[in-house]
Amino acid sequence: MNKLFQLLLTPIKASEEFAERFLFHRRLLVLFLFGLLTILLGWQATQIRPDASFVKMIPTSHPYVENYLYHRDDLAGLGNSVRVAVAARDGDIFTAEYQATLQQITDELFFIPGVDRSALKSIWTPNVRWTEVTEEGFVGGPVIPAEYDGSAESLEQVRTNVLRSGQVGILVANDFRSAIVQVPLFDKHPDTGEKLNYQALSEQLEQLIRDKYETDSISIHITGFAKVVGDLISGAAQVAIFFGIALLVTLVLLFLYSRSITGTLVPLACSVVAVIWQLGLLRLLGYGLDPYSMLVPFLVFAIAVSHGVQIVNTIALESAHGADRWLAARRAFRALYIPGLTALLSDGIGFVTLMVIEIRVIQDLAVAASLGVAVIILTNLFLLPVIMSLVGIGKTATERARRAEQKSHSHWELLTWFARPKGALVAVATASVLLAIGLQQGQKLQIGDLDTGAPELRPDSRYNLDNAFITGNYTTSSDIFVVMVETEAEQCSSFTTLSQVDRFQHYLTNIAGVQSSISLADVSKRVTAGLNEGNLKWRSVNRNQLVINASLSYVPAGLMNASCSLLPVIIFLDDHKAETLQGVTAAVADFAAEYDSDAIRFQMAAGNSGFEAATNEVIATAQYQMLAWVYGVVGLLCLLTFRSLKTLICIITPLALTSVLCQALMANLGIGVKVATLPVIALGVGIGVDYGIYIYSKLNTYLVQGMPLTQAYLNTLKTTGKSVAFTGLTLAIGVVLWVFSPIKFQADMGILLTFMFLWNMLGALLLLPALACLLKCAGHKQQEKRDAEAVKEMHDAV
Amino acid sequence: MYQSSAPLRRFLLPLLTAAVAVLVSTSVFASDRLQAMSIPSTRATETLLLDITLAGDRVVTAGDHGVILYSDDQGRHWQQADVPFSVMLTALDFTSSQQGWAAGHDGLLARTDNGGESWLSVMNGDDINQLRLARLEQLYAQMEVQVDAQPDNDELLDQLDTLSFQLEDAQIAVEDGPAIPLLDIWFADAQTGYVLGGYGLLLRTVDGGQSWQYWGDRLPNPDSFHLNSMTRDHQGTLYIAGEAGQIFRSVDQGISWELLDSPYDGSFFAVVSQQDQLYLLGLRGHLFNSANGIDWQQVGIDTDKTLTAAVPLTREMLLLGQGGVLLTGSEDSFRVVDSGVRRSFSAGVAIGKQWLLVGERGITQLSAEQQEAGRE
Repeated sequence: MNKLFQLLLTPIKASEEFAERFLFHRRLLVLFLFGLLTILLGWQATQIRPDASFVKMIPTSHPYVENYLYHRDDLAGLGNSVRVAVAARDGDIFTAEYQATLQQITDELFFIPGVDRSALKSIWTPNVRWTEVTEEGFVGGPVIPAEYDGSAESLEQVRTNVLRSGQVGILVANDFRSAIVQVPLFDKHPDTGEKLNYQALSEQLEQLIRDKYETDSISIHITGFAKVVGDLISGAAQVAIFFGIALLVTLVLLFLYSRSITGTLVPLACSVVAVIWQLGLLRLLGYGLDPYSMLVPFLVFAIAVSHGVQIVNTIALESAHGADRWLAARRAFRALYIPGLTALLSDGIGFVTLMVIEIRVIQDLAVAASLGVAVIILTNLFLLPVIMSLVGIGKTATERARRAEQKSHSHWELLTWFARPKGALVAVATASVLLAIGLQQGQKLQIGDLDTGAPELRPDSRYNLDNAFITGNYTTSSDIFVVMVETEAEQCSSFTTLSQVDRFQHYLTNIAGVQSSISLADVSKRVTAGLNEGNLKWRSVNRNQLVINASLSYVPAGLMNASCSLLPVIIFLDDHKAETLQGVTAAVADFAAEYDSDAIRFQMAAGNSGFEAATNEVIATAQYQMLAWVYGVVGLLCLLTFRSLKTLICIITPLALTSVLCQALMANLGIGVKVATLPVIALGVGIGVDYGIYIYSKLNTYLVQGMPLTQAYLNTLKTTGKSVAFTGLTLAIGVVLWVFSPIKFQADMGILLTFMFLWNMLGALLLLPALACLLKCAGHKQQEKRDAEAVKEMHDAV
Repeated sequence: MYQSSAPLRRFLLPLLTAAVAVLVSTSVFASDRLQAMSIPSTRATETLLLDITLAGDRVVTAGDHGVILYSDDQGRHWQQADVPFSVMLTALDFTSSQQGWAAGHDGLLARTDNGGESWLSVMNGDDINQLRLARLEQLYAQMEVQVDAQPDNDELLDQLDTLSFQLEDAQIAVEDGPAIPLLDIWFADAQTGYVLGGYGLLLRTVDGGQSWQYWGDRLPNPDSFHLNSMTRDHQGTLYIAGEAGQIFRSVDQGISWELLDSPYDGSFFAVVSQQDQLYLLGLRGHLFNSANGIDWQQVGIDTDKTLTAAVPLTREMLLLGQGGVLLTGSEDSFRVVDSGVRRSFSAGVAIGKQWLLVGERGITQLSAEQQEAGRE
């Protein structure tokens, strides 16, 4: 075992020597290289573009999504469309003025790029028709009569046509005070192959529709996935302001902490360089910024600052011991190289574990974050000490460090109680109680989104108000789950298929949360009744294939594919809570298990709720996988660095407690485990472990020197403890501002990360020494001593 | 999964015991709706329901997907019956509080002996097609004998021609399978009953449903119009109303039928008798009444919605129809009642001051008093 450690640690130690020599003997070259790279990557960073695609937000390797992607072309218009409700503020829609506006809006939408024009629907489009049974048979026509002229008579005609078109609750509100234009979108333009630009589309909807037509008499309400994404991108852009604020606050705090102008500006500058590099590299690798990875620069900045603080702090201490700026910087580099590298590696690996979740946005987030951490190694672990060796920490800071170290009595002394058996017991007991409470509360934690409407956005956001308007005034729900029924070619409308689908839909009425469903079978049933003078007794799938064929001479778009081998069953749900979705998927799976054959297969799933169901399933399993990975990897790294199981327990236990409490917090705040909150745990653990590593490595140094635990702990607190507390604060400041983001999930992430950063800090400062005391970690002194002696020899050599 | 196929059913099933037959042919997993169990549903009262009737004190209703519901407390609580098929059921009729019949799509006819709690399929469209074919073959054979006897009688030759066409249709129907829906059941008493259906289908029993005869050939219905509704007036004359203004009458207990002059070309969905009045309910607000079944007067009403059924009240009639339309009145005076419902009604019953109506939206309960009050 020892050999293995040697094998792994030797190269790191060797690299330390090499890096140290290179950095501190070729300082100008180093600065020049870093400067050059910063300019190049900075230019790249300015080119980075917001990016959000529908497919990236769903788990593409989940069978549901695979099924959807396989049938994607046949399901056009189902997955992705925008609804524009045009509402009359006073009176109803049967006025010449309103109808003129609705017509203009319909025309305007028709010409927006990315719109599937043939499938665009409103009462003004010719594909929306009324039908009626008369003594002579079926009669019908467009809802807006050809001879429409805005007169009272023709408006009355429109009213009659709307009533008999069956569009009330679908394209016309139940209260007749608004009407909808249904705008299906191309994900990829069929002619140009161009990807739909959600942001541009969303802006066009705002400018060409909302700004232009919203007046004292007309209000506009827009919903749909494309609008959500558009709003997300523009909302996410607002976080740039938060970045500015975080930068300023950090600047002030850093100065208060270090009392050194260089000690403030250099770490800040290096951290900004890290962010620039990270963005530039992302762009170089072909990534864009989606609303999730948009938060990574904050994290990178905060982590960079916190590492910078450690280095500046150590430099100040070394200077206080009399070293000159070059030697102080070099010693700080040497002292922090291994713990810093370990900490950053565990951050990075913590982020990399997110890759196990097969959802592109999370994987992209993992890439962006690990890239950022890798960059910090260069900018803050390498560049920062080099710059500091040139500019120095300044006299005030050196003096302060000296005074602080020599001060016999300090407020930190109070905390040493936790390193004594009595205090340690209290601390561990309290932690155990908290753990128990956390575990109990965490039971209530739910998977998936819990809010209605678009849960990515705030409940009182424009979009969600629009969505509430539409769900309130129309019959169709915005939570849609699509089951794709596959048959042999040309068999989608056979009696056997349709009667099975009909049975399936009846079966669905039994499932909690299902409002209604619609399919080709409904069309056949309704038209068959229509062909029999509207007699309800004929509203059944007829066994005579000729009758079925006659009933399907006109099929609305999206209910079957061109080769008649696929018919979607569109299921409208009450909500998209995980429980509802689980009930639906389980019920559909049961039905499919009984009825699937060579002739017919009931395949899940498309529609926003279908994807959500898939996402939930992926997240539910990935949640534990990811925890196992992140703790496994972080634990292994700690074990490699400290070579002691007890140390591992000391460092990991506070983290685990925080993770558990975080879950309890989520449960109590009604935040579900979802795409946005899943990474938080990995980020929290990955970053939180830094504190433990810094604290423990410092503590260990003193222990090895033969100090009793309380003394070693006090010294640690006075030196590293201070910077760890400061780091926790910096990190928290970096993320706490997200709470004000217009995007709900960014706010959720902000709350949770702030909580984790602060609790992890407290855990490292209070619980870690308590555990160390109870586990008597000092017993491992002997072996550590040998290491320390080796290090000391090296020090002396310098 | 068991898939029934014709040869299997014809040759194998008789060899098996009745119990096994029921087990194999009636299953949740059966893929054909004639054999697949009706799925019990918590929302069965919201399914499309097409007929409702009284079985003693019990109310029974039936509709789409083989749903049959019964209530012993005037519609406050409903129980879903055990139904071994899931075709759409269009009509119910009870001859006593225990014995009842249900008819539906695919020519399904079923009976209950326990007040509607459980049901057994009696026959389906395949059986009906065979009955029809056998009847027409028999008629054809008889006619051939007559023609052989009088080879110069042109009238007989014409009739033979017509019969050969009908026979051909019947043979095609056999190939099409059980495709013709049944639309109404009407029992004169426990023994004598009729089943009406699409394309001129008519069945008759005189032994309480032990055996059924194909009766469609007794009606002068060469265009095979759908037969929608049947009734008997206070003098014992039978009437059948159907598609395209067809109205048939029998004065000899259903043995022979004549086509009456119709007051209207559009379809009739119900023919109803109350006291000494007859009513015809039809497409697009067409309502007619008559005292003798021969002379019909159109009743002016304030709706152009199709009327589908009538519920006899104490003195008046309640008419119901598409788009939730409701009318009350008698003879030549009916007024619209606002039910507050916009979905179509198919049938109804009145229990005291309460109306139980079924249709597109399942069961709707209305209080007659409220409706009266609302009108004033």
